[in-house]
Amino acid sequence: MSESKINIESRKKSLHYFFGKVVEPLGFKFTPDEEMMNFLLEQEVILEGKHGIPFCPCQPLRNDRIRDMKIVCPCIPFHRKHFDEIKRCWCGLFVHKDVLDPDKLPQLPQKEVNNE
Amino acid sequence: MKKITVYTLSTCPWCRKTKKFFTEHNIPFSYIDYDLADETTQRRISQEVDAAGANGFPYVKINDEVIVGYQPERYANALGL
Amino acid sequence: MSEKFSKAILANEIAPGGMKSVELDGNEIVICNNGGKYYAIQRRCGHMNAPLDMGTLDGIYLTCPMHCAQFDITNGEALSCPVPADLGPEVLPPIIGGYMQNIGMLMKHVHTESIRTYATKLEAGWVQIRL
Repeated sequence: MSESKINIESRKKSLHYFFGKVVEPLGFKFTPDEEMMNFLLEQEVILEGKHGIPFCPCQPLRNDRIRDMKIVCPCIPFHRKHFDEIKRCWCGLFVHKDVLDPDKLPQLPQKEVNNE
Repeated sequence: MKKITVYTLSTCPWCRKTKKFFTEHNIPFSYIDYDLADETTQRRISQEVDAAGANGFPYVKINDEVIVGYQPERYANALGL
Repeated sequence: MSEKFSKAILANEIAPGGMKSVELDGNEIVICNNGGKYYAIQRRCGHMNAPLDMGTLDGIYLTCPMHCAQFDITNGEALSCPVPADLGPEVLPPIIGGYMQNIGMLMKHVHTESIRTYATKLEAGWVQIRL
């Protein structure tokens, strides 16, 4: 993608709008950690500029469309059980609606959650 | 001295925190930013991560122990800090 | 730019959240109703000219139906480039495969430009546009 004319702040704002509407009925909201939110959204804009799709900044692309579609933000529906258990999505852009202190939410992989 | 290898993504803040953890504790480690690596390396890491049943980064190996996600307490534990 | 506003469409012909295309003096324009505020943008996508009124409008964001580029209707700003299509793992017949490869190569050079917007005003039930 040769495009470099996209204004990052404008794109962040529109992603914020679209994503908010998707995650709300799933019981999630943007993390109250605004610095983290801004950083992650910015990374997604960069990833979108590179790949044409806003992927999760914290999960690896596999060059396999079916697998990679599962990490398109917001990827909550594809990891619902896991993310509901840790009350956040993997990169932490979204947290459960009742979360006030996102720092207290550890980043645990699925198989470690049941062992808690 | 335990061997520490970390698979990270240049876009991930938790990966940055992980690197920072080892740096601040003066612990030598090596890392590969998966998204910036060549295709062969990516494939190798991808297979390794799959074999461990993981899907997110950071992916930390302390000798034979694998720790997925930013878990500073477990790093400290594994290193006897 | 003239100060003259021209009648484009009756305001109540566009449902809230909806959009309609009109032609004024040879200008193809799409008028959007965002909660009673009317915005007017050029009809042709800044990427490959597709008619934006055949896309989707969500709030102030319009998505082109052809390759999903998105625009801010308040200022015409292009917010994203086209989304890459994936045609699946099946191997295409050589003629089609070759054609698609060539198109794909050329499309890498196609930019998504921001689109023109027009000033609007509401008067006597009409959405008016300054050309």
